[in-house]
Amino acid sequence: MNPTITLSFTLNGRPQRVDVSPNRTLLDLLREEIGLTGTKRGCDVGECGACTVLLDGRAVNSCLVLAPQVAGREVVTVEGLAPLGTLAPLQEAFIHHGAVQCGFCTPGMLMSAKDLLDHSARPPEREIREAIAGNLCRCTGYQQIVEAIEDAARRTHEAR
Amino acid sequence: MRPFSYIVAGSVQEAVAALHEHGRDARVLAGGTDLLVEWRHPGARVPRVVVDISRIESLRDISLEGRDVLLGPLTTHAELIRSGVIRSEAAFLASAASTIGSPQIRNRGTLGGNIMNGAACADTVPPLIALGARVTLSSVDGERDCHLSGFYNKPYTTVANPNELLTQVRFPALPRGTKSAFTKLGRRNALSISRLSVAAVVAVDETGVITDARIVPGAAQTVWKRAMEAEKILIGNPPSVALFAEAGRVVSGVLIRETGRRWSTEYKEPVIAALVRRTLEKCFAVND
Amino acid sequence: MDAKKNSIIGNSERRVDAWGKVTGSAKFAADYSLPHQLYGKVLRSGHPHARIVSIDVRQAANLDGVAAVLTANDIPGSRVFGIVVKNQEILAGEKVRYMGDGVALVAASSVEIAEAALGIIDVVYEPLPVVSDPEYAMKEEAPRVHPEGNVFVHHKVRKGNIEKGFASADFVIERTFRTQFVEHSAIEPEAVLAEPAEHGGVRITGSIQNLFSSRRSVAAALNLDLNRVQLVQATLGGSFGGKDEVMTSMCCRAALLVRATGRPVKMVNSREESMLESYKRHPYVMHYRWGARKNGAITAMEIRCIADGGAYASMSPFVTWRSVVQATGPYACENVKTDVYAVYTNNNYTGAMRGFGSPQVNFAIESMMDELGERVGMNPLEVRLRNCFHRGSVTATGQKLDHEVSLREVLQKAADGIGFPEKWKRFREADGGMHRKGVGLACSYRGVSLGAEGADAAEAVVSVQTDGSVIVSSGVTDMGQGAGTQMSQIVAGVFGIPVGKVLFLNTDTNRVADSGPTVASRGTIVGGAAAKNAAEIVRATLLDVAAEMAGTSPRELAMEGGFVVRSADGTRLASFGEVAAECFEKGRPMHGIGWHRSPKTTWDAATGQGDAYFTFVYGANAAEVVVDTETGKVDVVDFVSVHDVGRAINSDAVRGQMIGGVAMGLGYGLLEEFILEEGVPAQLNFDEYLIPTSMDVPPVTTIIVENEDPAGPFGAKSVGEPTNEIAAPAIVNAIFNATEKRITELPANLERVRLGHALRRPGPRGSALKDDGQSLPDLSCKIRPEKL
Repeated sequence: MNPTITLSFTLNGRPQRVDVSPNRTLLDLLREEIGLTGTKRGCDVGECGACTVLLDGRAVNSCLVLAPQVAGREVVTVEGLAPLGTLAPLQEAFIHHGAVQCGFCTPGMLMSAKDLLDHSARPPEREIREAIAGNLCRCTGYQQIVEAIEDAARRTHEAR
Repeated sequence: MRPFSYIVAGSVQEAVAALHEHGRDARVLAGGTDLLVEWRHPGARVPRVVVDISRIESLRDISLEGRDVLLGPLTTHAELIRSGVIRSEAAFLASAASTIGSPQIRNRGTLGGNIMNGAACADTVPPLIALGARVTLSSVDGERDCHLSGFYNKPYTTVANPNELLTQVRFPALPRGTKSAFTKLGRRNALSISRLSVAAVVAVDETGVITDARIVPGAAQTVWKRAMEAEKILIGNPPSVALFAEAGRVVSGVLIRETGRRWSTEYKEPVIAALVRRTLEKCFAVND
Repeated sequence: MDAKKNSIIGNSERRVDAWGKVTGSAKFAADYSLPHQLYGKVLRSGHPHARIVSIDVRQAANLDGVAAVLTANDIPGSRVFGIVVKNQEILAGEKVRYMGDGVALVAASSVEIAEAALGIIDVVYEPLPVVSDPEYAMKEEAPRVHPEGNVFVHHKVRKGNIEKGFASADFVIERTFRTQFVEHSAIEPEAVLAEPAEHGGVRITGSIQNLFSSRRSVAAALNLDLNRVQLVQATLGGSFGGKDEVMTSMCCRAALLVRATGRPVKMVNSREESMLESYKRHPYVMHYRWGARKNGAITAMEIRCIADGGAYASMSPFVTWRSVVQATGPYACENVKTDVYAVYTNNNYTGAMRGFGSPQVNFAIESMMDELGERVGMNPLEVRLRNCFHRGSVTATGQKLDHEVSLREVLQKAADGIGFPEKWKRFREADGGMHRKGVGLACSYRGVSLGAEGADAAEAVVSVQTDGSVIVSSGVTDMGQGAGTQMSQIVAGVFGIPVGKVLFLNTDTNRVADSGPTVASRGTIVGGAAAKNAAEIVRATLLDVAAEMAGTSPRELAMEGGFVVRSADGTRLASFGEVAAECFEKGRPMHGIGWHRSPKTTWDAATGQGDAYFTFVYGANAAEVVVDTETGKVDVVDFVSVHDVGRAINSDAVRGQMIGGVAMGLGYGLLEEFILEEGVPAQLNFDEYLIPTSMDVPPVTTIIVENEDPAGPFGAKSVGEPTNEIAAPAIVNAIFNATEKRITELPANLERVRLGHALRRPGPRGSALKDDGQSLPDLSCKIRPEKL
């Protein structure tokens, strides 16, 4: 009834080939087929943002992308933010500013922030808040997350 | 999500051929931000065949043809917001797109999807109707054009046939000097569906008299339409807060006449009037 | 040890678990899988109240890929659980009492097959009359949810003589306030992975808040000894009180499926399943009647609160007990009569949620206080300063506050932070206009930890490794609030070593002692004290060994900067690791078991008098809002949060708790409402249940006040819940300042602010009848459960 299709795409910089049923979402594919569990499932309707990944460089809800739609495209997850054992400036800043509490929203939050900082060098606070408006956090009240992103932007900018 | 057959359409021809073959069993998938939510519910009507049009590059661009703005239905909300053409020719369409969902939704959701899904709270539709937009539907039998104002029978129901694909959205650019604005009322400041919204266009001649006025309330009626009675009040008069307030009251009165008094009227009646007045005021504000 | 000299305590140390959480390597419950695991799903009731006539599972059991289908009859041991009242069923047998009740379980080789199997289980129901309004539920003629009647809690406080109090009043203020059901909304939905254990029992890894109480229920359901049931806490993606009983039922169900199949079983709730089944914050109806004098003094308080307990008792007896203790707020009054009831209905059951019975009464109290100020011509700051407790005050329960009562300090700091009363006066006198500004104030006192709810003790084990690194395990869990980091800091502080040398292990029921529930903001104060005790035991041994090494007395030595040093001159004698290695060589014990029991509390249920909590914390919030008077939209544009935390073990973590608490309180005040229509939830996901986004929460100014309390480790008190309990009244008071409209029902959403009331869809509301004030049965609830 539901034959699988073979899908090729780039995942965290590396080519990936995987068989998948077309009725699976990108989130299912990452978590259940490939075993990358850093991307979280919080609502499955594109509201909480815990499943945010980059698709061709832009933040999307992976629960709202059909798996076969990523064929030939580039996907980056939280596991791809920095080489194993190291931290990207954003991750450093999240730790440093106390932006992490329970941590369940953190991977998605980082990916939305990554999209922002990749396209805007020194975003003002308002722009940062807009960029993470699709990522619900119940622990922090967002403020330390905003501060962390501001700081990461500053550090990245100064390093350039 | 129940299983389905998955067809990737590489071109409009392939897409309409697939729709021709599968008819009512097929559903067109673009950004997926509405459909995937719908399909995952137990008991949802999941189609037997999904026709993925997201790779048809020809359905993606924004361009000017003379004074007509042409939009590919795969244009995402984020692309609408960033588009110089939209910002200069129909700024309120970009404003409306910027109020939709979240950055993730706007990166993925498409104009065509917003139009074809036809939810009463679809935020791009009121400005498009105010712009006098037409849509092109394609099928193996050829193409036809429809006015967006006549496109909906009721929420979630369009006049498009199951074998037809939305291939273009077209509207005349607003004449130079014409002002437009969009106001949305949601319960929170992001990730919010429209409780009510208003799109408005106003033009004033050199004598300071309103020569063109278009008002389209959103999330207020079963189908969108221009508030003609209110528009008539505006035309031929100089803009003023009192005039805009009067237009608001007329819009609200017409809505209640058409929908009848309901449990929610007590709130909507004064609020839609206020939103209409504000949107008209916003047209004349310096920074919008 | 002198904590002041200790650089680790009070520092904003990085969270010990942050690396895993920013790299995606932290494992939450749903991230665990095992080979050959099955997927468990629950068939839930389609009715708020119905008798189960029959259940036919044959067709489902025969479906390809289905390994087991279970109903209540398949439970070998106890079918019910409950921390206070054991009346909640793992699977409904005779009848369903709310929409979230489970009636059957399926284990299958995929989620899809499990869901398909649920769809072909044939359950025949006989619908019963639904009771959904708590005031109606109190009436004799109301349908009964449980055979013993619907009113299951009645707590009282009696102090002085209210008749006299009202007689001596110049005027009386009487108001009724209502609050809503609230969803915890942890972003992580509930999940477990259960597996057969080698020793014949079961091991469950999951998003479990209170492992020991869940374990008791699993053991009872499966007829196993406690030691055969091992519960391991996965990294917890938020709880806020919400992963207690709902996890107990999930653990029991998963364990039953493991028992039936002999295979690992994974259960993960979808958001819809989570919202449908999980318990909520209690809605309250609160009648407040105050007598007062023209000078602002309060002569009498008569308070009657009715809490909607929903279908099961859950934590209602405790939640409402905190309400009865704190119902007067931190205000002096000689004559008090408070009655708090909890009643069964066919709504979602209600239980623990951050704040635990205080956000409701604080909304009423702080609204009343502003009304009192209006009446006597005092501004909200003046009227609070006039009435609030100070050192030596006696509370409504007769408890004398003999510690630093910092209400004046926190109130003044919050007021200064927002520009009170200057702004209050200016906004009040401003001309109308569409967008009106307002500022509001609220304060509270809060009993620390469990109080007279139950035994309040916890264990921690500190084990020093031969290289000087340290492992801490505790029966108190880290739910994301940072308890693990703070316990690590406390231990590092005792040893004078960097926090990076300490590893905190998630709770495992088979490796540490039952430490009671991690509730009531007791993580740091009770768990932290136990960790400190444990570390001090090992420290004494290590200093002994070091003294032998240096040929001196342990009294001459100290630990700092990773070394054992001579106290007099700071000379380094040996590194911490060298001493640890030597300790091992000498065969001395390198681990310590710390136990902390909170000071005694007392309670007399008949009069509601006693020393209810061993100490209290104090806080004040100030909010500035802009109200769109045409649409009813309220934006909070500025916020100041001030809390006396005793001592901040980790100031970044305290700040995080404070801002997060305000955000949750803002949702409570303005947005959130879990609506049930005749017992049927009207929203089941985050598209309809709206919590604040980054665009809704303003920057919050946090002011930490530290009046060290001898009751806590290093002087620390709790912080998690107080931060959440006064944001809503501060906002509502600000709306009053802006509009002169008093919101008496939460949330203050578009309609309530614009119209003064909510919009209600028409429909049969037969249960929404007025209370006629008839006398109620005396149901003084036993406060101390046999086990907690």
